[in-house]
Amino acid sequence: MKKGMSDNTRGLIKLTILRVIVYAVLIFLCILCLFFFYLMIVNASRSNAQLATGFSLVPQENFFKNLVNAWNDSSINIPRGMLNSLIIALSTAVLTTYFSALTAYGVHAYDFKGKKFVFTFIIAIMMIPSQVSALGFIQLMNKFHLNNSYIPLIVPGIAAPVVFFYMKQYMESVLPLDVIDAARVDGSGEFRTFNTIVLPMCKPAIAVQMIFSFVSSWNNYFIPALLLDKAEMKTVPIMIAQLRSADYSKFDMGKVYMFILLAILPVLITYIFLSKSIIKGVTAGSVKG
Amino acid sequence: MSTVQLVNIKKVYPISGSDAKESKKSKKAKKGEEAPQRKSNLQITEEGVVAVQEFSLDIADKEFIVLVGPSGCGKSTTLRMVAGLEEISGGELYIDGNLVNHVAPKDRDIAMVFQNYALYPHMTVYKNLAFSLSLRHLPKAEIDRKVREAAEILDITEYLHRKPKALSGGQRQRVAIGRAIVRAPKVMLMDEPLSNLDAKLRNEMRAEIIKLRKRIDTTFIYVTHDQTEAMTLGDRIVVMKDGFIQQIGTPQEVFNHPANLFVAGFIGMPVMNFFDAQLIAEGDKYFVELGGIRTELSPEKEERLKAKNVKSQPVTLGIRPEHVDLTDSGVAAKVDVSEMMGSSVHLHLTSEGRSMIMIVPTVNMKDIPSMGETIRFRFNGSVAHVFSKETEKNLEF
Repeated sequence: MKKGMSDNTRGLIKLTILRVIVYAVLIFLCILCLFFFYLMIVNASRSNAQLATGFSLVPQENFFKNLVNAWNDSSINIPRGMLNSLIIALSTAVLTTYFSALTAYGVHAYDFKGKKFVFTFIIAIMMIPSQVSALGFIQLMNKFHLNNSYIPLIVPGIAAPVVFFYMKQYMESVLPLDVIDAARVDGSGEFRTFNTIVLPMCKPAIAVQMIFSFVSSWNNYFIPALLLDKAEMKTVPIMIAQLRSADYSKFDMGKVYMFILLAILPVLITYIFLSKSIIKGVTAGSVKG
Repeated sequence: MSTVQLVNIKKVYPISGSDAKESKKSKKAKKGEEAPQRKSNLQITEEGVVAVQEFSLDIADKEFIVLVGPSGCGKSTTLRMVAGLEEISGGELYIDGNLVNHVAPKDRDIAMVFQNYALYPHMTVYKNLAFSLSLRHLPKAEIDRKVREAAEILDITEYLHRKPKALSGGQRQRVAIGRAIVRAPKVMLMDEPLSNLDAKLRNEMRAEIIKLRKRIDTTFIYVTHDQTEAMTLGDRIVVMKDGFIQQIGTPQEVFNHPANLFVAGFIGMPVMNFFDAQLIAEGDKYFVELGGIRTELSPEKEERLKAKNVKSQPVTLGIRPEHVDLTDSGVAAKVDVSEMMGSSVHLHLTSEGRSMIMIVPTVNMKDIPSMGETIRFRFNGSVAHVFSKETEKNLEF
């Protein structure tokens, strides 16, 4: 009896220690993730001279000065840049998700010759980095006179193998083919079935992929930098790079940090609004619903 | 009027890449042999795997037809071909006399209930029921009236504003049925609608379907692997195996006169007992000899065998467990297990090298035979079925 009680106490101690370790690791990881955000906010509140003195964890008084300076910088037009980025990122996110879901639906719901090949081929494209095809793509766009246009930044993004793959896997776990058949028997056409039955059933996955596509398009620097040279067409990442590469007399690191802070705001807002869907979508299919 | 005619319907699934390679390999190995091969009991030909073939059936207006058979026999495929969800590889399908082989499901005026309910999870019960009606652009008031009518019939009015995930299995299946009846379709198709329910609910829903059938009075095609459902629901039963129809008939016909060994074994619970016996023809009389005991067949059976000019031969004798009588003299059998079922006792026996079951009403029993005990049984000539050893067909047919 006595031995049993001591075992119980020992178990409790073990459990407590384990919990302390787990929480310590989780807190450390949280700090690791959030520390750089905090540092960015601190740096956005420091002047160029203060930043030159080195690392500091204490916010300074130059936050609004940096904001005014960045906003009024004559070499860049922040509202325009943000609008450009928003148009491109939002269009890419909506179109990529819709058409990738449509492709995934096609491969999931229909039986056709070469279905396996199509799937493998699309997955194989995932392995090719965008840098490999960039040169040819830029040349093609120049030939089409499509540089300084939104089109080459939105349309090619629609073919997104990663989004397709995610949607296909998601559909396999949540979309029974009988539901599609039921809709057909009910009198629904193929597109209506997709829009009114399939898309709502895949809402969590769609939310996740929209956010991911939005963020990657918002942060995209490589292709826009090669295609856009007109000032009024430039996107946020190009403008940030432009501020960083300003000559010595104009260089202000405080402005750069402030712009970076402004640049991540839309992404943060989207995350906050859709965080529930993201968690639902990321964990979807892992357990039986 | 809503008749359905299936004329020589066939369904072939093309062989996928790996299967085709395998098929070619085995063909090379068996050069000179016949082309069609058998794999998992379905026929494989040059075209592919034949899931259904030579399926011909005339379904009368307001008839309740049940397609029954084991898994993979082609019953669901046949139903899906009627629904238009599977392409028909060969043959003709008529609904109300119109050829509909290439008509889209939505234009066939059919409704279907699926095994796993197939409800739209993001819509309320009301919207699930109203979906097909709104696609037909009916006025809102009419949609509302029809939805409430269907809900009333199925007793789901109080759940109209719930989503499917907030319903139990039985309630979901009612919604699925509601979605089908709300349109008053020409033909109602049901693909194992009760398979996902527990035994108690299944019995309840079976009774509900019988009542429902009386109320909505339309043509039903019902697929099940459960022979009890088939027997209780169907006006006629179509027994299928390996893509072929084995027998079409009323439940009584199929039960009393099984066309072959498969049907005899498939219909009836517990399953029919089979023995190796001898059929003896003596003039106009026919006898079966089992374990040295001769039993004369009934005059009707003798007449049918005579008409077919059946000769004396070794046969497979089939007798249902409820048609075997416990007697003092007769064929000997050793008791393996006895199961007390309340009103009857199921005796599991071994006789003439075969396992068998005998159902004995408890009122007819003094003592329940114990394990290892030898008992004797007889059977009446009117309930003995004789099947050919070669073709496995009932010799009376």
